[in-house]
Parts: sequence; C-alpha cells; structure tokens
Amino acid sequence: MISFLQPAALFALVAATIPALLHLLGRRIPPTVSFPAVRYLTATEKEHSRHLRLRNMLLLILRTAGIALLVLAASRPAVETGSGESHMPTAWAIVVDNSASSSAVVEGRRVLDELVTVARDVLSRFSDGDRLWLTLADGTPRQVSRLEAKAALDALAPSAIRLDLGAATRAAALSIQNEPLVHGPVVIVSDLQASALSQGTRSNTRIIAWQPNSPPANRWLDSIISEPEQWSPNGAVVVSVLGSEDRQGALRLRVGGTELSRAVASPGERAILRGTLTRRGWTRAVVELDPDELRIDDRREIALFYSDPASVRLASGLGEFLNDAFAVLLDGNRISRGNQITLGELSAEGVSIVFPPADPALTGAINRELRALGVNWQYEQLMEGEWILPEDIGPAAGIEVYRRHALRGSGQVYGTVSEEPWLVRDGNVVVVASRMEPEWTRLPVSAAFLPFLDLVINRIAAEETWLVKASPGDLVDLPKSASVLFGAAEEQPVTVPPIGRLMAPLHPGVYFLGGVSGDTVGALEVFVDPRESRLATADESDLRGSLGDRAEILTTGEIGRELFRDEGRTEIANLLLILAAIALLAEFLVASSGGRARKAG
Amino acid sequence: MEKTRTRTDLLDPFLVAQLGGIELVARGIVEGFLAGMHKSPFPGYSVEFTEDRPYQSGDDLRYLDWKMLARSDRMFVKQFEEETNMRSMLVVDVSASMDWAGSEDVLSKLDYAKRLVAALGLVLLRQRDATGLIAFDEDVRTVVRAGARSNHWWNLVKAIQELGAGGGTAAEPALLKVTSLLRRRGLVVLVSDLLFDRELVLRALHYLRHRGHQVYVLHIMDPAEFVLDGPPEALFRDPESGTGVIARPRELRSVYHQTVKNAIESWRAECRRGGIYYHHVLTSTPFGHVLRELSARSSRLG
Repeated sequence: MISFLQPAALFALVAATIPALLHLLGRRIPPTVSFPAVRYLTATEKEHSRHLRLRNMLLLILRTAGIALLVLAASRPAVETGSGESHMPTAWAIVVDNSASSSAVVEGRRVLDELVTVARDVLSRFSDGDRLWLTLADGTPRQVSRLEAKAALDALAPSAIRLDLGAATRAAALSIQNEPLVHGPVVIVSDLQASALSQGTRSNTRIIAWQPNSPPANRWLDSIISEPEQWSPNGAVVVSVLGSEDRQGALRLRVGGTELSRAVASPGERAILRGTLTRRGWTRAVVELDPDELRIDDRREIALFYSDPASVRLASGLGEFLNDAFAVLLDGNRISRGNQITLGELSAEGVSIVFPPADPALTGAINRELRALGVNWQYEQLMEGEWILPEDIGPAAGIEVYRRHALRGSGQVYGTVSEEPWLVRDGNVVVVASRMEPEWTRLPVSAAFLPFLDLVINRIAAEETWLVKASPGDLVDLPKSASVLFGAAEEQPVTVPPIGRLMAPLHPGVYFLGGVSGDTVGALEVFVDPRESRLATADESDLRGSLGDRAEILTTGEIGRELFRDEGRTEIANLLLILAAIALLAEFLVASSGGRARKAG
Repeated sequence: MEKTRTRTDLLDPFLVAQLGGIELVARGIVEGFLAGMHKSPFPGYSVEFTEDRPYQSGDDLRYLDWKMLARSDRMFVKQFEEETNMRSMLVVDVSASMDWAGSEDVLSKLDYAKRLVAALGLVLLRQRDATGLIAFDEDVRTVVRAGARSNHWWNLVKAIQELGAGGGTAAEPALLKVTSLLRRRGLVVLVSDLLFDRELVLRALHYLRHRGHQVYVLHIMDPAEFVLDGPPEALFRDPESGTGVIARPRELRSVYHQTVKNAIESWRAECRRGGIYYHHVLTSTPFGHVLRELSARSSRLG
C-alpha cells in the first residue's frame, strides 16, 4: 500500500502530459520547404520509419516517465515495508498533564519526570510535516512545532492548577478535527486521575492514554475553616483530613514561625487547632500535615482575621423585622451594642444606615438632613412596581422589590435595581432605597434577610474585610472596595480591575486585598483544588465513560506500535529520483544518438 | 600559403562568383589552375607519344621512361606530340532540381555547374581539344558542336550564359545525342545532380564507354542536400516533380546522411565497374580542387 506524505504535489502530475501534448500540438500542418533531394528523404523515411516510430515512442515514454517520476518523488510516497519512519502528514494532539498531582513522587521519581520522558518519546516520532497541538495543565490546546513542543517539555514544571482532563482532551480532539490533514489520535500522557475525567460530549476522535504507574498513598488537607471567621482574639481552625489509607498524621497551626496548636488526625477525621492572635487585622497562618509523596496538599496558607464586632445602635420605629434581625445578630456575636453604627436614622457620629421614611411627606426632611451631613445622595420620587434585586447585592439576589425611591447623587453604589442605585454609600452614610417591610420588599420575610443585614452592617457600614477562597487559575469575584492584590513581599501587587473579577494567582498562598485608602479590605486564599489530591487512577471504562468508545489505555510500547501504525513505511522518493534520472539520461542518450551518429559519419 | 590565397581557383565558389561574369570567373579559375600545372593537364586524351629525351632537373617524374631506365640505366623523359582533333563533350544538367541552393551563401547547383563547365571548357580548348556542350533537362535544350578554334570558348560561354533552369530530368537522350556528335574516341563529362533514374543513365554512360569514350561524371550536390537541416518538422517538396514528404530533420539527420552517402557510394561503385570516373562535388568545393582532381584522374586513367 502506497501513501503520500505530500499528496498535494500529485497535482503536478498534470505536467506528465506535457510531452504528449507537445507531440500532439507539434502535429500541426508543417511549413513547406523546397528540397530537390526528396528522393533521398523518401528512401530514408521508408527504411527507417519503423525505427523512427519506435524511437519517438520511446522518447515520449521516457519523457513522460521522467516527469511523472519526479512529481511522484516530490509527493514523497511511502510503502509498507515493516520498517522505516515515515507517515502521512497528520494532525496530532498530545495532552501532558503537569497539574498539581504530577508533583507526586513514586519510587523516588517525580511523576512529572516520567510523564515528560513518555511525552518526549511520543514527540520523537512526529515528523516535521505533522501539525501538533500541545495541551498542558491550563487545558488550552496550542498549535506548536516539534521544536517548540520539545522546549515546552524541557521547561515543564508541576503546576498548582487542576487539570480537567476530560475537558482538555475534548478540546484537543476538536482542534484536530478542524485540521485539513489526516486526523491522528489525542495522546494523553497523564497520571490519569479518575477525578480529572469530567463528563462531556463523547468524541469520535481516537484517544490513546498512557498507562501510568500505580499512584502512591496520599493524605491531604481537605478543608480548613476558621471558627469564628472573626477571632477575638481567640479562635480555632477546623481542619478536615482525607486520604487513601488510614494512617494518622500530625497537624500544626503556625503563625510567623510560631506553632500555635498541634493535633493528630486520620483521614476522614476533623481536628480543631485552637490559638490566640496577638495582632488585630489580618494574619497569614499555615496549617501543616505530616508530609507524604504528594507534598503540595500537605501544607496550606490561611488568612485569620482578628477584630471586635461592630457596635450598633438601633433607631426606633423601624418595624418588627429589623428589631428581630438585630437581636439575632447580637446573639450571634456579629454585632454588639454601641454607637459605632446607627441603624435607621442619621447620626453625626459614626456611620449611619438610613431607610426611606414610612411617611413620604418626611422625605424632604431626610434629604435636608443628608445635605446637612454633606451626603451627595438624595431620595427622589417614590416608585411602585416589581423589581428583582440583582446578584451584585449578594445574599439578597433574586428578592423582589415592590416600592422604592429613586436615588440621585454620587458615591459608592453597592447594589442596583433595574440598573438604578438602590444601596449606596457616601461618606459615613449608607442609604437604602426601600424600607425593610413586606410592602416595600420581600426581603424582610425571606431567609436572605439576616445575611443581607449582616452584609450592610459589617461589610458596607463597618467596612469589615472579606475572605475569598479559590484554586489557582480560578476566576474570582472580589469586593468592590478592593483595588489591589498583595502577595508575598517580593511579589508585585496586582491591580484589581473595576469589575472586581480576576484570575486567582497560580501560586498557592494568601493574598491580601488593598482598598483605595490603602487599608486591607480582605484576603484571598489560594490553595490546590482538593480533587488534585485524589490520585486514584481511572481504568479504561472510566476513560471511555468520559471520552467515548475510541479511548484506550496503552503502555509505552503499545503506544509506539499503535500510535504510529503507519511508521512501518519507507519513503521511496530517493528511489524514484534515481529512476527519474535514469529515464531522463536514457532520453538524452536516445535523443542525441542521431547527433552522435552524424558526427561519426 | 600566400600563393593559395591569391588564386581564385582555390577560393570559395560563392565568393569567386561575385568577381564577375562567367567568362571572367572561368578564366581566373583556369589561370590559377594552370599556374601550378603542366601545360597539358589532361595528357592522356590529347597527346600521343613520339620520342624520349634526356631527363632534366625539374621534369615531371610521371613522364620518366621507366623501361628505358631499366634497360640502359639512363633517365629519359617521354615526349608527346599534341593532337588537335581530340573531341570533348560537356553534358550539363539544367533541370529544375539544379536551380536550387540550400542557403544564400552558396551557389545554386546550376550556377556552380555553369562556372565549372566554362572553366573546364577553357582548359580543354587551351590544350587544343575540340570541345562541345550539351545542356539538357527532360530533353536536350542546347547543343554546341565541338570546336577547337581559340575563339570557340566564347561560343561555349555564350551558350552557358544562356542556360536557364528547365523542367524535369532525362539524361539518356542527351547522352545518346553525344554519340552522334562524337564519332571518334573522345571525352564526355556529365555534370549533374544525378536526381533521375540511375539505371537508365548508367546504361547510357556504359554505352558511351563502350564506344571508347572516356566518361567523367561530376555529381553536383548542395551541402544542404548532404546534411539535412531545417525546421523541427516540414513538408519537403521536390521543385522538379512536386512530390513531397513530411519529415523532422533532427530525427532523420543521421540516417538521411547515411542514405545520401550510400547513394554516392552506389554511384561510385557502378561507375567504377564500368570504367567511368565519378566525382562527388559539393557546391562549396573550390573549382580548382575539382579541376585538379579531374586532371589527376585523367593522368591515371590515360
């Protein structure tokens, strides 16, 4: 079976018809030449016509064969010989999984090193005519040359990102399918975590996964929760430990090199690490578990916050719903009684949270008070209808609003209704456009009321800081008060875009959120997705369940045989070039034989 | 070498033809030719032996009496008595095929033949041979009876100048006409491109030879007839018969050349067999070479 490595060159076979076309075109009516010795010419024709016909036919065949052989050589034909290294130009994809789990160590060797070795072996079999798509832990296929792929492998290091192997493989398969070349398989070189194989559209592309070695036993920090969120200054960290084997491990909570607490936990257990913070504000702490073969999930940085609860004074006449909620927040130690925040009326001291008056006639009076305090916001006309609180109000999202004042002015907008300000702040005054009564909004009678009130008092009025948790590379929403993200001292701060959404840093750790005024308004905990810690490998049925029936798991040797089934081909371009040269040389000899005979004569 | 350059008989015939009319050219050729020759270049035909005389330095060794030398060990040179009633007839082909030149820088076969015949006639007349002329194409066109007077050459030249290309070719009537014009043993020179029926002509030539005449055949050929050339493919048409053949010169060149050589060899062999002298003459050959060749041949044959 012959295949062509450059099949496009076969179009040039049309050129092989040139000798025949020239022969046919040359058969036009020739010019007439006066020549007395026609009798000699006639005799010559008679004697040699058969020889001449044969000679012309031979020349035509040799010329056609010469051109055809040259064109065929240019198309790089390859024949099955059982040996050789040629295959047709093919679009391949290779997924090299350098996600967090690849940093595990098996029998003294890092998993990623083994993966890179296998990937290099696969790459070495590609040819320059192939088109290669390379996917790494970020899951994005990139079209690369063989050299670029080799350089990427040389520089490859374990990433803290979690790779969704199922999605990445499907994206790689799609990249191949859009190529005009022969479609090769997607080769997965991964530790093949079962947890990484997400469900999705099953692909028709052939998928070959390398059979990884047995995974090591692993134990990891699954979840870490600060209790309470706000230390005073005492608090605790509840740590959940998971693992693939029932073996105890020691847990430690450290702050700045000082061990605050220690505990022992087996996989599946929770441990409480208690401690006392000595400094108000945010503190970077570390929870450590005894190390094992996968180190990246045995240590996690966390952010602890130490401050007193906001002290709040509740104005009279706000209705039963606000009174009840106030009492619950007091009981929950989310607030305390005091004058730091006044809820329900304007105050010259501290921060005020105001609602519209129940009597619309008093709207002008409250507007005058706002102006007197230098607040830019004013209550405008009262509107009735039905609006839905959008997501930017957090816990109140989806709650209906039936009555509200239009708010006119300028300042920080924390929530909108129908794209008009609804929850705003200017200076020390937080203005809400609706009263917290069922006639105004369903919020007071919904479960979202307490979280909403907590948000307004502690986060907006008291400007309590935020704690956001994410895995590396995740898109995270940060509070609107955050303008910059600080990492370790040596890292450059990252400016938070106005929309408040950015990609979590790729390096796990604690990052603090800086506000416009330079104070710290929150923290971002970045830690490895716990699913990366589940090292159990997928079997072929898992693979097919995720990626389709054309997926299979092969050993290194089997990949070499299966992946490059066409490799048993040998290019015969050189042979054809030699034959073309022989044909053209023969043509030259036959064509010039008349000339040499004349000279000899 | 210097002498060679000044002798018109050895120059390119085309260049020589530019020097003047036939009579001037022929005279120049003959003067050049005779400058290095014995007074009688064709002795075998025009003189008879009379006596010996002692050899003197400078005498042509060809006329040394070898028998006398063997008998007496003394060198004598043969003395000849010139004969004025030796008759020669120049038979010229003026058919259409003769009026053709392969390129612009060679004489047509007819022009070449006319100048050659004029020169040859002058040589013969100078050694007092009565010389005549017959021109033919498909029939006898011109006849000039043989004469030996000194001004007879002008008659020949006038006839030659008036010769124009005719139609087809039939040499045998002209050759048979010779028998009526040459009653005694004489010399017949046929100047033609020989593009006609060989058997008929050979039969006529053999007949002349049988009648005791010495017969020369000068086969005039254009170089372009000897080596085929032309466009990649062409219809080659015979101007005389109108027949044609389509051929590719590049393909046929070698075999055509061989065919022509075979034809020449065939003529040569047939003529030799009948005691006829045959000489192949390309129109690019200097006239002097042809005359010298004829002179040498006549000595051997004589």
